Amino acid sequence: MSNTNSLLTIKDLYASVEDKQIIKGLNLDIKPGEVHAIMGPNGAGKSTLGYVLSGRDGYSVDGGSVALAGQDLLEMETEDRARAGLFLAFQYPVEIPGVSNLEFLKASVDAQREARGEEAITSAEFLKEAKIACKQVDLPVSFLKRGVNEGFSGGEKKRNELMQMLLLKPKLCILDETDSGLDIDALQVVAEGVNSQRSADRSFIVVTHYQRLLDYIKPDFVHVLSDGKIVKSGDASLAHELEAQGYAWLQKAPAEDELEG
Amino acid sequence: MSEWLESAITRAQNLDDWLAPKRAHALELLAQTKWPTRKTEAWRYTPLRPVERTQAGVVSHDVDLSPEAITGLTAIELVFVNGKFDAAQSTKELPAGLLVSLGRNLDATQQAAALNAFSAIKPERHLFGLVNDALAEDVMIVSVAQGVEIAQPIRISSLLSQGAESHTRVQVSLADGARLTVIEDIQSQGDTLSTAFVEYDIAANAYLEHYRFALQTGSNVAIGGSHFNLSDKSKMHSSIVGFGSDLSRLDTDIIHGGEFADAKLNAIYLLDGKELFDLHATVEHAMPNGTTEENVRCIVADRARAVFNGRIHIHRDAQKTLAALNNRNLLMSDKAEINTKPELEIYADDVRCAHGATVAEIDKQALYYLQTRGVSRSKAQVMLNFGFINELIDLMPNAALAEWVRPIIRERFAQMEVK
Repeated sequence: MSNTNSLLTIKDLYASVEDKQIIKGLNLDIKPGEVHAIMGPNGAGKSTLGYVLSGRDGYSVDGGSVALAGQDLLEMETEDRARAGLFLAFQYPVEIPGVSNLEFLKASVDAQREARGEEAITSAEFLKEAKIACKQVDLPVSFLKRGVNEGFSGGEKKRNELMQMLLLKPKLCILDETDSGLDIDALQVVAEGVNSQRSADRSFIVVTHYQRLLDYIKPDFVHVLSDGKIVKSGDASLAHELEAQGYAWLQKAPAEDELEG
Repeated sequence: MSEWLESAITRAQNLDDWLAPKRAHALELLAQTKWPTRKTEAWRYTPLRPVERTQAGVVSHDVDLSPEAITGLTAIELVFVNGKFDAAQSTKELPAGLLVSLGRNLDATQQAAALNAFSAIKPERHLFGLVNDALAEDVMIVSVAQGVEIAQPIRISSLLSQGAESHTRVQVSLADGARLTVIEDIQSQGDTLSTAFVEYDIAANAYLEHYRFALQTGSNVAIGGSHFNLSDKSKMHSSIVGFGSDLSRLDTDIIHGGEFADAKLNAIYLLDGKELFDLHATVEHAMPNGTTEENVRCIVADRARAVFNGRIHIHRDAQKTLAALNNRNLLMSDKAEINTKPELEIYADDVRCAHGATVAEIDKQALYYLQTRGVSRSKAQVMLNFGFINELIDLMPNAALAEWVRPIIRERFAQMEVK
């Protein structure tokens, strides 16, 4: 499954939270430019995957390997994973009162530019870029002055995540249930933003419970995550199948396996 | 009794002016007061040794000190140099409806009223309040007439040169519906001792915006108080910023003396080295339907010590009171110390009160969030620590003051980080 031109290669990944194993032998291979949707019932480990890949404290890897553009991701600190091109758009973006959105965005961009050996961007230049990004995600420029996500509505928080993505230009974006809590208009704005960022050298993992988001962000592949591993993969049509069937059939699958075994 | 207090009393006994009756009363109380020790609750974590061994004394006020200009702030300046009012540096042209005068220059009726109001709001339990009662050589009277809004803030600057001692006293009154902003600022050069007390009488429907900057550091001893009485439907918003010194102590008292009054108090302090800052904040809900919201945040580095005592007392008749006190502290070193004591005393049965004090590390979720964007853990910690303080700076209603104090705090914060 591993391939030298893969962007992300997850091999036989096992991970746990507080001694409870959540990811149980997950394999995934993503090439540059591909959009992979990961669907599955609640508790399947969808959000955990994003946290494990980003290196969140308390999420421990018990086995397997993850390579991002050939680098061993699991060996890196969270910030270094980001600098290597990983971006996690949070399901519940964190509010940080007292730290302005602009300061936060600039610190993020500065850190990543520095890691790439690029020159620091001036405050004036950055402000210009940030204002353009605001417009692209349909957030008023005044949101740059506010505390990070402070008092933002659900939709505004998601658009703020998207703005960070526009400014950071990552190689791999993980969108963790980006559709949760969004009305149809907000969903369209976010989807358009994501689609505008699709390119031959940027890949996406779109984690979602519902097929709805995939009407707007068309995936190349759809995977079904159940009980910590991918149990079925297919093209975009699999999402529609799931929408029609629900996830109940998954409950039976392990039992059948056991019978066969 | 300490030698320092004895000599202070002797000095006070030699003063004779319009304040004599009040001074005599204070001296009487002082004579009955024991010099605080570690067993004295109000001074338990704040030893008075720096007062006892102070070299500060009465020095000439003929020194070259002026208040710092603040970009974007045009204030009515009231300047004290080494404890003495400096008319030359103070604003002479005053807007209509505003009275500013030393008590000694008032006419007999006004003076009688001022004498009556002296220490009417500041509680007698403050030891150094009594010292200030006895040693203040005059009182600056500020009063705003009914319904008048004074657009320019009044800035009271107390400037102290090396080795100076000063005891300043101000009485501020806002008549019905008046609006006023007062900034109290103390700037001292080193080895100084100051007591600075201000009383605010806020009449019905009036609004006071208040700032107290206690940015003295090093070997300064700075003790003071801001005391407020709120009448029916009046409001106050107070912002306090403090750095620590050998001894910095501030007492605030907010008295809900009327119904439907609203008080907001935000205090931040940042301590480094071996500094100490002690804030005692008391709120008396004596009347019904009052609201109070207090936020006190503190960052302590190195071997510094912070003390916070936040008392909210809800009297039996103060039904429908809403009061919240939140005290959050960050420790930046193993040897830093925080002594925090929220006290809630409730005698009314239909009230909503919340209080909490935390001594904590950084918000781990926020730290992770910043790291997922590429910001290093150490840089993220600095951002979050500063954000913790900056959140309250953002709440200052006066933008010019917020813009002025933010870089001062940032600079101090940067110094705290390297240790």
